[in-house]
Amino acid sequence: MKHRGRGIACMWYPIGFTVSANPSAAVVKMNEDGTAVVLTGTVETGQGALAVLGQIAAEALGLAPDDVHLVSADTDATPMDTGAIASRTTYVTGNAIRLAAENARAVLFEVAAQVLGVAASQLEARDRRIQVKGFPQCGIPIGDVCKRAQSALGQPPIGSASWNPPTVALDPENGQGKPFGTYVYATQIAEVEVDDETGEVEVLRIAAAHDCGTPINPMLVEGQVEGGISMGLGFALQEEILFDRDGRQINPNLTNYIMPTALDMPEIDVDIVPNYDPTGPFGAKGVGEPSLVPTAPAILNAIHDAVGVRITSLPATSEKVLAAIKAKRGEGTKRLPA
Amino acid sequence: MADDQGVIERQRAAVEAAWRVEHARLPSAPGRTAPAVSPPAVPAQQIRAVGQRATRPDSRNHGLGQTKYICDIALPGMLHARIKRAGIASGRIKRIDTSAAEAMPGVKAVVVGRELPVNSFGPTFQDQPVLVDEVVRHAGDGVAAVAAISEDIAAAAVERIVVDYEPLPAVLDPIEAMREDAPKVHPPESNIYHRLTIRRGDVAKGFAQSDHVFAGRFTSQMVEHVPMEPHAAIADWDAAGRLTVWATIGRITLARSDLARTLQLPMNRIRLIGTIVGGNFGGKNEISQEPALALLSKKAGRPVKGVFSRGEEFTATTVRHPFIMEYRTGVTRDGRILARTARLILDGGAYCSWSETTLGKSCILAPGPYKIDNVSSEAVAVYTNKTMSGAMRGFGAPQVCFAYESHMDDIAAALGIDPLTIRLRNGFEEGSVSPTGQVLHSVVLKDTLRRAAERFGWEAHS
Repeated sequence: MKHRGRGIACMWYPIGFTVSANPSAAVVKMNEDGTAVVLTGTVETGQGALAVLGQIAAEALGLAPDDVHLVSADTDATPMDTGAIASRTTYVTGNAIRLAAENARAVLFEVAAQVLGVAASQLEARDRRIQVKGFPQCGIPIGDVCKRAQSALGQPPIGSASWNPPTVALDPENGQGKPFGTYVYATQIAEVEVDDETGEVEVLRIAAAHDCGTPINPMLVEGQVEGGISMGLGFALQEEILFDRDGRQINPNLTNYIMPTALDMPEIDVDIVPNYDPTGPFGAKGVGEPSLVPTAPAILNAIHDAVGVRITSLPATSEKVLAAIKAKRGEGTKRLPA
Repeated sequence: MADDQGVIERQRAAVEAAWRVEHARLPSAPGRTAPAVSPPAVPAQQIRAVGQRATRPDSRNHGLGQTKYICDIALPGMLHARIKRAGIASGRIKRIDTSAAEAMPGVKAVVVGRELPVNSFGPTFQDQPVLVDEVVRHAGDGVAAVAAISEDIAAAAVERIVVDYEPLPAVLDPIEAMREDAPKVHPPESNIYHRLTIRRGDVAKGFAQSDHVFAGRFTSQMVEHVPMEPHAAIADWDAAGRLTVWATIGRITLARSDLARTLQLPMNRIRLIGTIVGGNFGGKNEISQEPALALLSKKAGRPVKGVFSRGEEFTATTVRHPFIMEYRTGVTRDGRILARTARLILDGGAYCSWSETTLGKSCILAPGPYKIDNVSSEAVAVYTNKTMSGAMRGFGAPQVCFAYESHMDDIAAALGIDPLTIRLRNGFEEGSVSPTGQVLHSVVLKDTLRRAAERFGWEAHS
């Protein structure tokens, strides 16, 4: 017989490295037509980091995302970056790029201020123009400003910056300190169906509410959460490297190391919880790693709700769940020989 | 050499013909969005970048299979490398004989560990050899590398390398490894190589004030990142003595430092290019085969590519730390947490890798996102003769979250409190203080709880 159950799990997760400095540097160069090139030492590892970082630069420069091109991950050409690790790219590299873009923009403001006859502090970059705040009709296309900066004034618009989250080292005695710049929060709730004859667990649906500060690109946040849930599902129910008694792996292949496929995926309802972190670029924090953190306990709590067994060792394979169900039955009424 | 060039030319012609057929009818990419001529009249139509569901700049290339991963890159005269793996968990190398491999037609270079100027690396402790020259500490350790004109020849050459081992005792269980008399993975050092304690308040007092005290023990398993693209790199040591490496690495700055250290090269003679990575998840945050590929390239005078097999992805790259977690929690009758202790044992495998970061993060996060005045969290990382544990998406957080959230539901059930209610009763709020004494900002934990419950249709029942 199949039993349904529901389970909840929440979590907190830090953005960036543990204690040690983890800086990023960035360079933003304006082209003569008002488009921009960003140099960053981070690496695109499939998560869409370059898309998000381009959007951050575009926002600071009053450009559209398509107007920004990123050059990444070349130690000859790109500035220092701690790398695509620890859910730090949007927050740390993003802050460096925002500051570098603002420094490039300051050159544009300086040039445009002379043309428009206003103080640089009264200008804003918006809609591909440098314009007077509150008077959008009084402005110049950003491409014209770039051309003028380079050709007339001999001052090509370029900006560089670096950023490192402010932290305080942990006290070696009691571990007190400020190890991270900020944290994100999330809750996932799973509904499962457990077959009490086979121990098989099917995850039917997961509601996932995640805080990432400002979602720079909500579509990519959803993608991270869905991908994290697939990883969390494998961690909860299927994946395990096994060793023989001599210390050799028994299942180092995708035939015997079982991981979730598209067919194992539940229905997922992603909710991006409104939030704004003043320390992040345009209020953003991060989402890469936290997406999988609460998945396994939500599923395990749902198994407990469905069939009343608490699996305390991951993964909750069918064999383990079935053994626990049988052991639980054994605790109750026993059939005696007639 | 003439024969090699013939083989390479034929392969290249075949690849190019296939490419032409496959890509003949690909549509071209759309042009750039037309620039706005004048500012839009309606503010809502203004150009915005942040918050937009913008299409990724790389999506078309990904979707059409045009993104160039290491496997798609071929340099003129490029060789292919394979690494000989130890296959035993613990042993001392008595002899390596590479002569039969070197004599094979098509084999251009062989490298062993002692040829590396500095044969050790690691982000915290430099305890991992590029290729083992003395002691094997887990079955996936590499002992020699071969470069040949094809992958098949390189694989066959690796089989002809003969290694004699003196078997050493292995320790596979982290609890056993913590015992004084356990075999040492890195003698004479203790197998416990890192520890951290976080303490706030007075747990003894907190437990004394509690109406109930609950205990739980939880364990988690070893898992692999399983990226679609395996670890891959190309090294090209040119005649001027400059090294260019294309690699699937998420941290190029650190990787260049490790290359400079292992090869004893000034950093300005190393160019490291991080290619688009086909999945990292923490598994590609440090070098692996790159220094060996560089030396093969130097010896052969040709670029050398190395691509790990799926088997090597499991046995020779980092994995997620298995954890043993013991929790004790003191609560009031109405489910408020007054004290909590967490004790964590991390199975680090043969080398430290990113254990220090994983241990730090898991130790800090272990008490959970809850307002607890009296907390103590202790963690140790332990060497065993198994695949090295390292960085993996979550850095120890998935393990402790599994423990503290399972434990939380057990407490809720015992007290007859709804699982959502007990979390809302204890959860962090704006200004809450973390176990390390950090005052937290932009805290929306309870919003996530309420909104997930609403989306799910959670109704309290106890």
